[in-house]
Amino acid sequence: MSPSAAIVGVGKTAQGTLPGATALGLQIAAVKGTLADSGLDKSEIDGLLTQPGTTAPEGAYNYLRLGEALGLSLRFGGSFAMGGATCLASLQMAAHAVSSGAANAVLCVFGDVARSGGSKFDRAAGWGDSWGIWGMFSAAANSAMTARRHMHEFGTESRHLGEVAIASRRHASLNPDAVMRAPLTMEQYLASRFIVEPLRLYDCCLISDGAVAFLVTTLERARDLRQRPVRVMGAAQAHSPETIGNPDWWYMPHQRLAIEQVYAQAGVGPADMDFAQIYDNFTISVIVWLEQAGFCERGEGGPFVEGGRIQLGGELPVNTAGGNLSESYMQGWLHLVEAVRQLRGECGDRQVPDAEIGLVTGRGMTLNCSAAAVLGRG
Amino acid sequence: MMDYLKPLPTITDENEPFWSGLEHGELRFQRCGGCGHYRYPIAPVCPRCLAVDFVWTPVSGRGRVFSYVVFHHAYHRGFAADLPYNVALIRLEEGIFMFSNIVGIGNEAIVCDMPVMVDYERVTDTITLPRFRPVLMP
Ligand SMILES: [Zn+2]
Repeated sequence: MSPSAAIVGVGKTAQGTLPGATALGLQIAAVKGTLADSGLDKSEIDGLLTQPGTTAPEGAYNYLRLGEALGLSLRFGGSFAMGGATCLASLQMAAHAVSSGAANAVLCVFGDVARSGGSKFDRAAGWGDSWGIWGMFSAAANSAMTARRHMHEFGTESRHLGEVAIASRRHASLNPDAVMRAPLTMEQYLASRFIVEPLRLYDCCLISDGAVAFLVTTLERARDLRQRPVRVMGAAQAHSPETIGNPDWWYMPHQRLAIEQVYAQAGVGPADMDFAQIYDNFTISVIVWLEQAGFCERGEGGPFVEGGRIQLGGELPVNTAGGNLSESYMQGWLHLVEAVRQLRGECGDRQVPDAEIGLVTGRGMTLNCSAAAVLGRG
Repeated sequence: MMDYLKPLPTITDENEPFWSGLEHGELRFQRCGGCGHYRYPIAPVCPRCLAVDFVWTPVSGRGRVFSYVVFHHAYHRGFAADLPYNVALIRLEEGIFMFSNIVGIGNEAIVCDMPVMVDYERVTDTITLPRFRPVLMP
């Protein structure tokens, strides 16, 4: 069932390297920006969902600490961690909370000082006996396993990964708020050093300081507010708790399950999308998501990204603000902000003409869970 | 032995038979008493049939490289001297997937789906790690 909910405000802080900032301080700034954007008074907020950043010492208490700072009284709330899927899982929960009447208006917030705070994303996965025994460390390594298998099975090449990095950078160059705006050529991409082969430096997302927030309320309430509402046509999550016990672990079958749900809820398919904001912790992630979301067949994601197809002006503009790779690494939260702004027509040089409907995806917790949403112009 | 700076398993009641098997040159896994499914990573219950009972069962040690990566960055200081080093995801004949390292050939010679056989490397007085070595097809 599609929830009756809308995103009525978005906010973000400066991004990149913000010395002296704290995750909490950035979260507060993002919330204030969101309230101002929406025109909704703080007294109407009765829901708060947060993703604690890697540098938030209060962990699961993050929403209480933020709620205290903001002077909120809540009847719906919590902090939870699904990594890069948390943003859209929060959207799903917020949308159902306002649809059902469990809350009137839900703020969703992420903030982190991962860059200044020295977060490394270098942990080895695995339960009990860590995969680190064999040297299997870092988020990059899991995605590199996927990339290598994808290359072997389907003939995907390094230059396909490069196309994703180049498209992100081109879009970031049109985004004054992006961290990495210098153009990237295929020659530069192919000459960049390997981190975990086959992934190179430019295949990896940034590590950033910053915060992002958005506000969800009912479609009915949304009609009287400052911004043109953005409708939550579908929002879903999916998980594959098994790790390497599942032969398809590397291909992330939960992504397909999340996508099928949001298309069914929204009554749409891939051909209806004017753009896609796709989770891109590493370039290979975009290629696999394009396949899982039905923009092309399994294994065809490499050729699909060629020829500017995923760039502005192409058949399916992807990550129009630059994504995790070039805009800033806010664990996918900026992907939602960009989708909202595209649907409001606020994106200036990088605006997708007449954007009416778009897909947003997120994925987290090694390769094990995902969330997705279809958003539409209200 | 020389100081071993890489992570080592923490031996528990649950995983001790896995690691002591390797000491004796045997790669073994929990095989479900209910349905015969091999469990790995080591687990307290069968994810297929939820049976608790199992038997530690030796496997062939034969498998194929499902995927592999080469680290050019040391995320852990214990591996700094090994750069560039490989980690491979091995699919054993019995269907089990496990991470390990390919030994006996250069990183550039590794390819997905190449047949491999388990090899044992004693890394401390009490721990032997399973690694995999390419086998020539007849
Ligand atoms: Zn069983």
